[in-house]
Amino acid sequence: MTTTRPCKTDMNCADFQERLPELFETHADLSTEEHLKSCENCSALVRDLEYIAQQAKLLLPIHDPSPAVWDNIRSAIRNDPGPPKSGQPPVPTAGR
Amino acid sequence: MSAGQTQAKPANQHLRRNPPIAGEAEAIAAAQAGDERAFETLYALHKRRVYSLCLRMLGNVAAAEDLTQDAFLQLYRKIGTFRGDSAFSTWLHRLAVNVVLMHLRKKGLPQISLEEALEPSQDDGPRKDFGDRDLQLSGSIDRVTLERAVDDLPPGYRLVFVLHDVEGYEHNEIADMLSCSIGNSKSQLHKARMKLRDLLRTGQRKENAG
Repeated sequence: MTTTRPCKTDMNCADFQERLPELFETHADLSTEEHLKSCENCSALVRDLEYIAQQAKLLLPIHDPSPAVWDNIRSAIRNDPGPPKSGQPPVPTAGR
Repeated sequence: MSAGQTQAKPANQHLRRNPPIAGEAEAIAAAQAGDERAFETLYALHKRRVYSLCLRMLGNVAAAEDLTQDAFLQLYRKIGTFRGDSAFSTWLHRLAVNVVLMHLRKKGLPQISLEEALEPSQDDGPRKDFGDRDLQLSGSIDRVTLERAVDDLPPGYRLVFVLHDVEGYEHNEIADMLSCSIGNSKSQLHKARMKLRDLLRTGQRKENAG
């Protein structure tokens, strides 16, 4: 494991962090970034942002709507049975 | 692997997100012919994903249920126009995103454009990180904690983060949906991740102090 040490100047960090969105977007190989070799702070930042992006992909759908949602939908479509043909008025939308 | 590499979309990204579902094709055909039971089957197959999307974009259970209802009623009206050019779930998902965005434009963001809403106030925004190396997130965040932090994001950040990092949309698609520039979408995504990091680290500090 490479030992990193804190960056000596905030300016270098500011410059690097300005470039960071583009580096991510272009899928750049960040291991070649000179700044990261000498800045523990920005290395930690990059690790955290990578981690957040990875974890977000694991947020699969887990929430279910209450049964009332289907009850309302069924009630609405029964007022207008069958997918509407052209010229028919639309079914009502959820009341809010 | 960089975050950039993390967010690269493999060719089968949409298949991973939208795998073929047994019985779906038959249910679509029957629902297109007006079969209510078939429509109920489609609802059962897709309600979780549509509702989760609405909830994550809105951060509000009542509004998410209302818009899930709206999305499926729109599906009912439009299912006859589905031709199978894309996966049904992709098509339905886009329909649901549009329902949420329409709602936000009408109700949530009446005075300001969505582009402006995508730029939260300075107080909400991320700051440059020049220190405080006491905490590392890697390996320490569970799903519930991340969900909660996403909920706490400013709405504009949350929209882009959910659409890109959670739902897997590309920046050009998001720009099209939100009527903003691709650069704006990229910039907001980065700010959202930075803000999330702030929120998650703050939560960790509180836990450690407690």
